[in-house]
Amino acid sequence: MNPAAPSDFVLWLTLAVMWLPFISFLVIFFITRTRLALSLAVSVSCASISLLAAWYLLLGLPATHPPVEFKLLWMAGAEARISYGFLLDPLSRLMLCIVASISFLVQVYSLGYMAGDEGMAKYYSFLSLFAWSMISLVVAPGLLQLYVFWELVGLSSYLLIGFWHHKFSASEAGKKAFVMTRLGDLGFFLGIIVLLLHLGDLSILKLNAQAAAQLSAGLVTASAVLIFMGVVGKSAQFPLLTWLPDAMEGPTPVSALLHSATMVAAGVYLVSRLFPFYAASPDALAVVLAIGTITMLLSSTMAMVARDIKQVWAFSTVSQLGFMLMGLGAGSYFAGVFHLTTHASFKALLFLCSGVFIHHFGSNDMYEIAKNGGRRLKVPMITITIAGAALAGVFPAAGFFSKESIMGALAELPNPGWLAAGLAGAAMTAYYTFRLLFIVWFPRKIETPQHQENGHGDHAAHSSFGYWAMGVPLIILAGFALVLGFFGDWLLNFIHWGRPPEFFHHVWLAPVSLLLVGCGIGLAWLEFGRRKAAQAGFLSRLPRVEALFANRWYMDAFYRRMVDYVVYGFFSRLFTLNDRRVVDGGVDGVCRATVGGGWLLSFLQSGLLQYNLFTMVLIIALVGLYFLVMH
Amino acid sequence: MTAAFPYLSLIMLAPAVGMVIILFLPHDSKRAVRWVSLISAAVSLLTTLYVWQAYDRAAGGLQFVERTLWVKSLGIYYYLGVDGINLPLVLLTSIVLFTGVWTMWDLQHRVKEFFALMLLMVVGVYGVFMALDLFFLFVFYDVSLFPMYPLIAIWGSTRKEYGALKLTLYLLAGSALVLPGILYIYFKSGLFTFDLVMLSKAGLDPDVQYLGFFLFLFGFGVLAGLWPFHTWSPVGHVAAPTAVSMIHAGVLMKLGAYGVLRVGMYLCPQGLVEWSPLFAILATVGIVYGAFVGLAQTDLKYVIGYSSVSHMGLVSLGLATMTLGGVSGAVFQMFAHGIMTALLFSSVGHIYDSTHTKMIPELGGMAKVEPRASFFFILAALAGIGVPCLASFWAELLVFINGFKVYPVLGALAISGLVVSALFMLRVVQKTFYGPKNEKYAECADMRLAMIWPRAILAGTILLFGLLPRLMLDTINVGVAPLVELFK
Repeated sequence: MNPAAPSDFVLWLTLAVMWLPFISFLVIFFITRTRLALSLAVSVSCASISLLAAWYLLLGLPATHPPVEFKLLWMAGAEARISYGFLLDPLSRLMLCIVASISFLVQVYSLGYMAGDEGMAKYYSFLSLFAWSMISLVVAPGLLQLYVFWELVGLSSYLLIGFWHHKFSASEAGKKAFVMTRLGDLGFFLGIIVLLLHLGDLSILKLNAQAAAQLSAGLVTASAVLIFMGVVGKSAQFPLLTWLPDAMEGPTPVSALLHSATMVAAGVYLVSRLFPFYAASPDALAVVLAIGTITMLLSSTMAMVARDIKQVWAFSTVSQLGFMLMGLGAGSYFAGVFHLTTHASFKALLFLCSGVFIHHFGSNDMYEIAKNGGRRLKVPMITITIAGAALAGVFPAAGFFSKESIMGALAELPNPGWLAAGLAGAAMTAYYTFRLLFIVWFPRKIETPQHQENGHGDHAAHSSFGYWAMGVPLIILAGFALVLGFFGDWLLNFIHWGRPPEFFHHVWLAPVSLLLVGCGIGLAWLEFGRRKAAQAGFLSRLPRVEALFANRWYMDAFYRRMVDYVVYGFFSRLFTLNDRRVVDGGVDGVCRATVGGGWLLSFLQSGLLQYNLFTMVLIIALVGLYFLVMH
Repeated sequence: MTAAFPYLSLIMLAPAVGMVIILFLPHDSKRAVRWVSLISAAVSLLTTLYVWQAYDRAAGGLQFVERTLWVKSLGIYYYLGVDGINLPLVLLTSIVLFTGVWTMWDLQHRVKEFFALMLLMVVGVYGVFMALDLFFLFVFYDVSLFPMYPLIAIWGSTRKEYGALKLTLYLLAGSALVLPGILYIYFKSGLFTFDLVMLSKAGLDPDVQYLGFFLFLFGFGVLAGLWPFHTWSPVGHVAAPTAVSMIHAGVLMKLGAYGVLRVGMYLCPQGLVEWSPLFAILATVGIVYGAFVGLAQTDLKYVIGYSSVSHMGLVSLGLATMTLGGVSGAVFQMFAHGIMTALLFSSVGHIYDSTHTKMIPELGGMAKVEPRASFFFILAALAGIGVPCLASFWAELLVFINGFKVYPVLGALAISGLVVSALFMLRVVQKTFYGPKNEKYAECADMRLAMIWPRAILAGTILLFGLLPRLMLDTINVGVAPLVELFK
């Protein structure tokens, strides 16, 4: 199918969505950086125009608007022709809207959160850069453009995670995020090259429509799995999941952006974007499903013992991303995208609420926040509960519906194990979410909070403007977290892409999963909620297991060792030694041999007459001998 | 084809004239010396920009040609010309020379000699890039190498005598392979001409090409930092003064790769076909090896030196693929790496001048002390690890795609080097620039406003060609396309 060219109006509107954030980045970073108010005005106004345009593209155009494509030749180097442009179809229109909305809300929120920070203008320029890269990724018409902005998204998160780079942990976390996602990107890049060399054209529409027919099954699987490695890195899936919990070293609004609509969402978005391509290979889908399930279960266990409020949400992001991939892997495009949408709203909300607590109490520790009276902050307290309910999948919050659709897809699979894993994950999610909520709602006089520096120094700048700048986005997002679930049918019709909708419904499933969620909440209530609860989880009675969970299944330790012993300790040391001893030693050896040879020969130049005469006679004698023998 | 006005000679001779004027200036007129150098560099730069935009991409081929018989009995011509391959490199030289002179504005020690030697060196560099006559090419090649010795030995730092001697001897050993190679081709062709274009049409015997390419590969390869003949380069970079490091790593190493390309690949295409697996293996080893060794370095300049080894490996890998994309990528990488390294050395130069150290463990927290210098360094470092929308990304992309296409295993290995190079550059950035404000250097001044400009020109070039790669690649493709035909 050949997509139509956009009308002039759509063209300029889309270019505005795409380019305003970049213009804002350039203007702030290179021109207005020293003038804070002007910088903020530039950034927020660009973000709001971009937001309005994105919403118009989602709702203003008819839902049946055919996909449109616009391309300019960006780079032409023989085989690799990279075009720059956009592809507007239901999926990218939806995602565009999510990205523009969340980044707008985060910018508004940051007006309050970052007030007084000396690098605030730079921070806004990075936010704009982040929005630009993510938006260009979302609308990319070809896989190579997507890859370019995929890398730029990685760069923006590196800059923002390490924003407070005077802290070692922050710069370390930024570096870790960049290098670990880079590791996954190797696979992505190789996958792209394989496809490029076999197809010659990486247009996403063509890839989805024709790749399966043009390539052998093995090649489709191989390239799909290679590309999925990039997703594993970006969306923090097993085994590359450990960078995301550290990434909370960035300012909290950045975490909100990173965890909901931009960085990690890019991975799941990529699988959705190429879903027909993935669907052509059952093996690739099985890999997606398996990795998603492992990740979901692993990170849920980590979230059950974390004390740092942001860390709990970070682990929950990892596990929810695993959930989305399970939905996609189970063959339900709709379920994955639906959960991506609802998750964006409530996960952004969870982080932004936590940001209020952290900003207010100067601590990340949930017990500390509870002890200092976290529940007195009404707006964040209510909204975080709504978001928590959505995360746990409580009816009627958004998460319930989208999780339901994933469970429905899992129930269709022949092996009931996947569904069981999904249900277990849902129960654990409910447990750890309400554990946190109960702790903050019902403070006890407990001690030994592990106090963590959050690095956000200036708490003097509380103003009513700051209060509302932070409060209003919470309320808006809470609204979304409550109602988005009811738009499932609309979304189903919107994104089905001309193929029959795959929505699986099982009457018995909703009660079962609600029951399990109830069990999770009940357990949390018993241990943390009720009046006599000791506020210690059942895992604290199993210290070994708790340590395993708290140490992230020792994955971090494993990587640390790999880097220390293999990269630095072995390769780097070996090669350096080789460079100094063998390669350079060889060169110096040649020099020394030359000098030594000269020294030896210098004995011939003694300056003593008798030696010279002796040598002369010797040579004449030898020459004479030579002629004698020859003739 | 022949130019009405000798633009290329103007580009090349402007620094020469500048040098002669400087020699006649009195010893203590430092200001005049600087201005003369800067103006002669500016003349070259402006003329280059004119040639760059006037070059007819649709027609392609050699343009602005100047060809005069020099020595008839030996077949030597004064023969200059530019095509899509050397035009970017001439542009690179002009930019680096201009910014390099400006960067050294504050030099106080023996200013006259320094700038005279530097201009002389650049005359040689221009000559190599533009000459189409093997005799002239070789003469200019040596002209560009000799001034290096005094420049490092007099104005350098860290083990400067050792570095200077090692570099000079090493590179002369390389040119000792090149000269026999040139003479071998000269006699075997039976044409008795040094004219490169005529020689390339001679249809040399494959055996001749086999040996000839071998001599050129290793002779020029030494200067390109081909593994395992690379150790002169980090040592030399470290010892050299800032602007010399800029020209050295930014431009001089490209002379080697350009020699392999223009002399080796043009004259002995069949030789490359035979030698390309070895060439690709050495290149890939260099890419990965350079990054790993870079991880262990503690001296900022050593780090950049090893990153150059790694990046020049990419150039070699691109050349070894013998494909349009790969060779174009290699040429683009020469340009991009030249600008990027020049910016790295230029920023480190400022840091070293103000703090008097370039040891990473002694620095730290410099972003708060010298935000401008830090910005430029970090930008160049990001370009070095292949961040998109910065120039070298596109070059690396092309080299990797074609490397993987021709040599899947080596290509995959080279691509995995991306992770190591990211780790090692980010580690340097973290240890040097991040962290709490370094009180030890709190008094150190950041760059003056006037000294931002040379860095800004370099940074702007990285961004310009990163955002609009076609500006560069469309020109390069025109030059590379006929070359690649030779390998079929």
